[in-house]
Amino acid sequence: MYATAVVQSGRSAWKGPFFVAFPNIRLALENNVPIKTKARSCTILPNFVGLRFLVHNGKDYLPVNVTQDMVGHKLGEFSLTRKRFTFRATKNK
Amino acid sequence: MVHILGTLLPEKQLVKFALTHFYGVGHLTAARLCARTQIHDRCKIRELTPSQITSLTGFLSSPSTASTLPHFPLATPDYVPPRLSEPIPAAPRRPTTVDASNPEKELPGDKLRGLRIGAELRRDIRDNIAHLRNIGSYVGLRHALGFPVRGQRSRPNAHTARKLNRVVRYA
Repeated sequence: MYATAVVQSGRSAWKGPFFVAFPNIRLALENNVPIKTKARSCTILPNFVGLRFLVHNGKDYLPVNVTQDMVGHKLGEFSLTRKRFTFRATKNK
Repeated sequence: MVHILGTLLPEKQLVKFALTHFYGVGHLTAARLCARTQIHDRCKIRELTPSQITSLTGFLSSPSTASTLPHFPLATPDYVPPRLSEPIPAAPRRPTTVDASNPEKELPGDKLRGLRIGAELRRDIRDNIAHLRNIGSYVGLRHALGFPVRGQRSRPNAHTARKLNRVVRYA
């Protein structure tokens, strides 16, 4: 984690990182159950490491496995909201 | 011509402009470097003395370990200057209120302490992008695709992103 991520993010340091207090973190970690969430703006805290999330991208819930390097980033960074453009030859298909 | 850390500095330029030839040094940082190494404002590269070049090279090679600035405290309001006939007393020591335990601690506002230039800075940038790519974030993906990272449109323009955004930016 970048130690200064909170400072550099443009957010006031006294507030600390923004995060959502998930109620069932310990259970999820023990049972390896993914946490389904729409909180894309939740900062990944050090105690999230090893958890599995299902992060909403506006349509679906995409799986995100939290590793040590992701700490300090947001959950939404790992759940893509845009679809890659693919060319379709014919329209009526 | 003067080479400092492998960078060629043109002789006829003012030092404060020639220093911007270093990657990562702009006009503000160049002015700060001149102030730190006590090079005056209108000095040109060819007018630098060897000792000034040495001090510049020494500072730029490792800004984080360079010696701290000499501290000249301002006089207190009750200060009475010594008479001219008396010998000048020795300079007072650094004030103990700043940090008595660690005299080498950087003074607040030392903006050159964390200076990174040249290949070091390029490596930092490369590592940051590689980190974003390795953890699989959206920003890293956009770097890998050569597209703008912060939500700009990519249909007509985005030429800077196409030029710069790579996983390995400075190969």
